[in-house]
Amino acid sequence: MKSWKIGVLGLVVVLLFGLLAVADDPVTITFWHAMSSRHQPNLQKLIDDFMVEYPNITVEAIYQGGYGDLQQKINAAVVAGNVPAIAQVYENWVTPIVEVLYPIGPAMTDEEKADIIDGLVGSNTYNGILYTVPFNKSIMVFYYRKDLVPTPPVTWEEYLQMAKDLTADTNDDGTIDQFGTGFRPAANPEQFLNFLDEAGGSILNEDWTEVTINNEAGLQAMEYAVSLAPYSLVTSSYMSDAFQANQVCMFIDTSAGYYYNNQAAETAGFEMGVVRVPMGPVNQRSMIQGTNLAVFDINQTQAQKDAAVLLARFLLRAENTVFWAEKGGYQPVTKSAYVTEEWESWVATHEYQQAMSAQMLDGFAQILHPNYGDIRYVIATMFEEAMLGEATPKEALDNGAAEIEALLE
Amino acid sequence: MIEVRSSRSRFRFVIPEEWKRASYWRETGAAYLYLLPALVILSVFVFYPFFSAFRLSAFKWNVVRPPGTFIGWGNYNYIFHDKYFWRALWHTFYYVGINVPVTLFLALLVANLLNKGLRFLTFARTSYFLAYITPLVAVSMVWRWLYNWQYGLLNYFLGFFGIDLINWLGDKRFALPAVIIMSIWRYVGYEAIILLAGLQSIDKMYYEAARIDGASGLQVWRKVTVPLLTPQIFFVFVISLIGSFKVFTEIYVLFSGTPGPLKSAETLVFYIMRQGFFGTNHLGRAAAASVVLFGIIFIFTLFQLQITQKRVHYQ
Repeated sequence: MKSWKIGVLGLVVVLLFGLLAVADDPVTITFWHAMSSRHQPNLQKLIDDFMVEYPNITVEAIYQGGYGDLQQKINAAVVAGNVPAIAQVYENWVTPIVEVLYPIGPAMTDEEKADIIDGLVGSNTYNGILYTVPFNKSIMVFYYRKDLVPTPPVTWEEYLQMAKDLTADTNDDGTIDQFGTGFRPAANPEQFLNFLDEAGGSILNEDWTEVTINNEAGLQAMEYAVSLAPYSLVTSSYMSDAFQANQVCMFIDTSAGYYYNNQAAETAGFEMGVVRVPMGPVNQRSMIQGTNLAVFDINQTQAQKDAAVLLARFLLRAENTVFWAEKGGYQPVTKSAYVTEEWESWVATHEYQQAMSAQMLDGFAQILHPNYGDIRYVIATMFEEAMLGEATPKEALDNGAAEIEALLE
Repeated sequence: MIEVRSSRSRFRFVIPEEWKRASYWRETGAAYLYLLPALVILSVFVFYPFFSAFRLSAFKWNVVRPPGTFIGWGNYNYIFHDKYFWRALWHTFYYVGINVPVTLFLALLVANLLNKGLRFLTFARTSYFLAYITPLVAVSMVWRWLYNWQYGLLNYFLGFFGIDLINWLGDKRFALPAVIIMSIWRYVGYEAIILLAGLQSIDKMYYEAARIDGASGLQVWRKVTVPLLTPQIFFVFVISLIGSFKVFTEIYVLFSGTPGPLKSAETLVFYIMRQGFFGTNHLGRAAAASVVLFGIIFIFTLFQLQITQKRVHYQ
């Protein structure tokens, strides 16, 4: 009788201690990122703040190299079953591995979910569930030299005209050395996707059953791009190189490139301006770039997954996404962030941010087709062929459309 | 040794005498023990991946359920019907066909000059080797500026000869030649140093004998120097041939991650990387293309061994 009671008591004590232990159990999670040294102190500051708020959680942020390296390492980690708790991911990295991810959305409040910028919800939603959340987001905007372009172009027509006027052989050696604008078709097909969206076109129809890139809107977009070609430096290098060398006067590039483009302008000794992309026939939208955060489901304890979700939610908070945007040159990812006093005063004192913010709230994201990686490559190829005069806009689009068609099965 | 005797039964194993001695096994065991660390490392990082690539080439890769779906020859079928694969193959042969002989020829020339006993031999040797020991990515970054259309040093010098500005990195006709020029510059020094070592190890007595026999400079070169240098020439040739087939980094850096304008500098390894890693996870196709590349290099190497074995002379 007595021993039975002692047994129960013992069990209760053990259970109680067990519970206590769970509540205070220190959890360590790893965070794989591709944020270079310029961003790391800011990221670490956010993580430190997080660890102060959740003292039982330790976050180990590990730099994995560039985005390409990060993707390869994530894929290898998934194969090996040795994944980080949380990582930066691009949309098209997620589609093949979505089933090993732990959805962040279901652990978020409705308020939090509704706060994410509209343009970013779809690109983080897989099978109707918010799997990932936006993190370091940027938007394509229009950069120009203030000394040569007193009033930046507002429409496609003005852009074309100005590009034409600015293209010149400044040293009279018989070749053009100053181009009105510039494109990186093979490296940055998003420059074409902007035109495509602005003309009301799309790569695929709504339910991804048909290729629409070569319809009338697509042709209009490509013909417009090609009309700019004679006044464009077509290259694979970053535009900041050519900008610094006085080879291009204006171009469309991601807002994350602001730091580098501005540095190029300062080195070359002119002032740089930033405005929204020129208005197309249908809209003035541009493409959102940058990565999201994903939490992994395999080989992670529930405590680790919960901790990772907490970190993702923490980074979405207005003050944090604003801090990250101000320091890193990204754009805040939640609506509430844009109306904080901090951000409003930042925008008021940083002229270029007005264009970026406006453009961001109106941005469109990449489609989540499982073969998007291949589709993007086809678009880069057709864009380059058209820009270099290897094919007419129609030929390039039709060839590309046939290739994309084959990727839809 | 295991001997197979055909006299009575066709496969009769005769246990070698030394196998019966315990000391033989101790010694062999010790040898294998010493080899073990290297074998383990090689197995994990070389042998396993090597054979794994063959297996992988028969699968449609799936990252969540590796290796994915078995599709037999499907990946080979895909790449053999892909015009970019054939272009990449052609670009690779073009690159190898020009790069290897030209570099070797220039290296021979340089090695001979250095062997003539220049006053600043050590300095010259070091400076030639510098190109080789500088990290490839750094070198490629520098060349990107040398090749700049408007401001590049190369076009500036060509301007003295009345040559119009060449858009080295932006024109599909010049993209691959640009890669070749850079590679030649980089490897001439390396190959020259190896050849120079060979030249300096040739015994002086051969030259003296030739001179006594009244051989001309050219004759000495053809009949003494070249034959006795064949081991080094052969080595350099094989190494540079294999290396050239695998060209990738130069292109990746020179063209900012793209395979040159209109893919005009896409080589086989670039094609492999693009299929497998640049945003598309076609590891099966990448593996299939790798197997093809392996086959090509393998055949070339066999061929070379056959040909050169007859022509390589050792002192």
